[in-house]
Amino acid sequence: MNIPIILLVLLSITALSIPIIHILFGKKGISYIRYLTAISLSISLLLLFGSLIGLISQESTLPHLLRTDLLGSFFGFIVILVSLFVVISSFDYVKDHSNEAIYYSLLLFTSIGMLLLSFAIDLLLIFVAWELMSLPTFILAGFNKQDKLSNEGAVKFFVLGALSSGILLYGISLIFGLVGSTNLYVIADNLASLNSNLIPLVMFATIALLAGLGLKLSIVPFHMWIPDTYQGSPTPISALLSAATKKAGFAAAIRIFAVIFPLFSFDLSFALAIVAVITMSLGNLAALTQKSITRLLAYSSIAQAGYLLIGLVVLPYSDLGLIGLLYHSLNHAILQATAFIAAALVRLKTSSTDLTSYQGLSKIMPITSFCLAISLLGLAGIPPLNGFWSKLVLFGAAVDGGYAWLAFIGLINSAISVAYYLLVIKRMYMDEPKTVSNIIEPMSFKSVLLFATIVIIITGLFPNLIYDLSQEITNSFFNQ
Amino acid sequence: MIELSFPIISVLIALPILGASLMPLIFKTSQKYIVIYAAIISFIELLLSFYAYRLILVNGTGGSYNFIEGPISIIRHFGIDYYVAMDGLSAPLVIITSMLSLLVVIGSRDLISDRKVLYYSLLLLFQGAIMGVFTSLNMILFYVFWDVVLIPMFLFIGIWGGPRRKYAAIKFFLFTFVGSIFMLFAFILIYFSVAPNSFNITDVAGRIPLGLQIISSVLFLIGFGVKLPIVPFHTWLPDAHVEAPAPISVLLAGLLLKMGGYGFLRFNIGLLPEASAQYAWVFILIGVITMFYGAFVALVQTDIKKMIALTSVNHMGFVILGAFTGTVFGISGAIFQMFTHAAAVGLMFMLSGYLHKVSGTRDITVIKGLKFTSPRLASLLVFGSMAAMALPIFSSFLSEYMVIVGAIAVNPIYAVIVAIPVITVAYFLWMLKRVVMSDPTTSRIRHHDLGNFSTLTLVLYLIPLVLTLVVPWLILGVSNPIAEVYVNLISSGVA
Repeated sequence: MNIPIILLVLLSITALSIPIIHILFGKKGISYIRYLTAISLSISLLLLFGSLIGLISQESTLPHLLRTDLLGSFFGFIVILVSLFVVISSFDYVKDHSNEAIYYSLLLFTSIGMLLLSFAIDLLLIFVAWELMSLPTFILAGFNKQDKLSNEGAVKFFVLGALSSGILLYGISLIFGLVGSTNLYVIADNLASLNSNLIPLVMFATIALLAGLGLKLSIVPFHMWIPDTYQGSPTPISALLSAATKKAGFAAAIRIFAVIFPLFSFDLSFALAIVAVITMSLGNLAALTQKSITRLLAYSSIAQAGYLLIGLVVLPYSDLGLIGLLYHSLNHAILQATAFIAAALVRLKTSSTDLTSYQGLSKIMPITSFCLAISLLGLAGIPPLNGFWSKLVLFGAAVDGGYAWLAFIGLINSAISVAYYLLVIKRMYMDEPKTVSNIIEPMSFKSVLLFATIVIIITGLFPNLIYDLSQEITNSFFNQ
Repeated sequence: MIELSFPIISVLIALPILGASLMPLIFKTSQKYIVIYAAIISFIELLLSFYAYRLILVNGTGGSYNFIEGPISIIRHFGIDYYVAMDGLSAPLVIITSMLSLLVVIGSRDLISDRKVLYYSLLLLFQGAIMGVFTSLNMILFYVFWDVVLIPMFLFIGIWGGPRRKYAAIKFFLFTFVGSIFMLFAFILIYFSVAPNSFNITDVAGRIPLGLQIISSVLFLIGFGVKLPIVPFHTWLPDAHVEAPAPISVLLAGLLLKMGGYGFLRFNIGLLPEASAQYAWVFILIGVITMFYGAFVALVQTDIKKMIALTSVNHMGFVILGAFTGTVFGISGAIFQMFTHAAAVGLMFMLSGYLHKVSGTRDITVIKGLKFTSPRLASLLVFGSMAAMALPIFSSFLSEYMVIVGAIAVNPIYAVIVAIPVITVAYFLWMLKRVVMSDPTTSRIRHHDLGNFSTLTLVLYLIPLVLTLVVPWLILGVSNPIAEVYVNLISSGVA
């Protein structure tokens, strides 16, 4: 079975049929659309899960474009899982919005883009998938068209997104010019026999690729759009951007750099290590001073990208690097999505993202507060939640790969990050609420939040579940 | 080493945690029997600890690991195992954990009235986690339990604390968490330095290169030093104690600080003996400074709780000093000191809670004539102070004496620490003079004395102190064998 092709067909048909259903049934069709979207994503999720645990054997029908391996299924699973979370929590979030049908359609197109990106091994397909992923998110980010902040975020996102696409494409064209192919594995073969005078040009092309990808990976200095866009977008879309599109970007980065890195005589790892340090430190320090939960989570997301970069830094030196990167990608996706969805619910009910509206929240919205607290503790890396184990593996990988100082800086950063996560928990559990009336927590949000929280705790108590999977993927990735 | 047919340590860890997680379900509607429920679980824990302790004591196997469970892999290829055991260092701490937890559960009955379900479930969670700290043989497992302990304590201080509780809770969490980060870094470095890589203490012992031992010593000094605490990492402690409710202060001083002392003995002495032997003077110096600092600062306090908190700083200095003397007297004395300090300071904190309750204030200069208004409380305060200042009717005398003897045996210059008990006596007597022996003021409302039940539970703190003075073998029979093991490690490090 060729998973990406099947899912491409399934999700495209759903996405394209949504506007038609909307035209045919009008208002009444909305509930069909919601369930149709959720069901098609659930089926995709099950298929990906089946291929991850080995129930469904994969075959490749387009071997030059898509590599149907475990790595692809893993990232596909992450992005579809997050998309499903976002769709279910959007049931209530965009309820009665005039463009509700299109919202789901666009979400599905983004999912297809992310899915293709997880499997793509051809630079051109990577670019197409990249655009398919990005374009709908530009619209989704500006979905509240009456809201100035939403517009500002969307415009900023679009301008920088277009720039990054341009840079990415420039890098791709340089590489094509140098080696005459856009397939990653052919590139790798041809690069090995390249005239050594041209190596600086390869380096330049690689940096262009990194800069292009860097926008989605939210690494410094390509992070400027993140706080504004995350704050302005509908908050479930912030969850999507932070938890899913970023992971798809990492999938592409892994495929590109795992192939290209080992061929270099110069040490790109060290440069990446510096970027990682700056990214995590800037994210954590800036998060300390934020007054709004979405901006706080945005900076935390930047900081987490810094931790993930550690995995890329030591990719050539230690297997633990990729294991940690995969492991933390999944954990971070779930944690960040939970936190953003909880924030979305609070925003929906109090129409505020201000941290002051979290005062005494544990008494008004007990389930939301609990889930948010757990996800924040997980992001902070407090054991025994899942975020601790994956960070531990990443820091271990750094030490194993000869970057002990990077691990130390990462650990110090973890310590800094605890401060702002803790302040939110303090507000929720120790401050007095402004109002005493309970707020009803909608079923759709509650089910997503509780499910995610249970996953966070279970995979924290039994970390080998995902660690072993990450290791298997890593082994098969390097041995293929 | 002793083996049992059932996993006693896992039960010690899991029973309270399980009890805690069931509590919200059981006491959803009525909270009438919640104290009894928690007390029963703690009582079972106490019986189990007694049973385990007795076996180690009678068989004299304090020097080796008993009741070993595991290693059962948690993450197979990353060396993270579930691996627990009990030796002469863990056993006294396990038993004092059980005792204090039970007494705290009972003592909270009078002093805690709101959000009881959360309170008692956190109390049990705390107990289970700290059992894990004292018995883990895998460094990451140890770290996990170490950090899990922080969360209940953070909430205890932040929810049930005094007026500045939020500040104190966050300060406490940040200080100890940052400390633990340094410790974790050392663990990761150690893991990759031995071949095959391992986090298990039994695998890495004796195989860490000297250079890494020195680096790890520094990292551990920060990690455990924050907990113990040593000067200058102690500033979280007075804040946390002053704001925490009295039963929580008991746990904080009685058990949480012991984690630092335990860490120094288990990791610095046990895993890094060569570095510890070479740089013992650094640690001893820090210990002496900590003792003098704690004692002098305690002298000028007017808040009785802050005063007791600072005596802890003073008394924990004995632990680090004893540990790094590298003598059987010193190390065994350090373990003994952790045991006696837990009981003595536990009683003092509990009394400060009752004092606050009956007189409405904790200000030493305001409370007057306690012997007239609350004779039972006054007598217990006198006894508690005697225990804390190491008078020879309680075993705290013995433990401090052992540490002092051990220190002087290493270098006569350390005789200077004999001055410490003198200062301690000074501030306790001064406090008693002002609070107990003064005339009552007429302006204050009439005080109420302790009830029979409260008096009984408070007297229970004194029993182990008297018992272990009369029969010191009860502790030393367990701690001396492990002290001998450590002394051998250190002396081979010097040679």
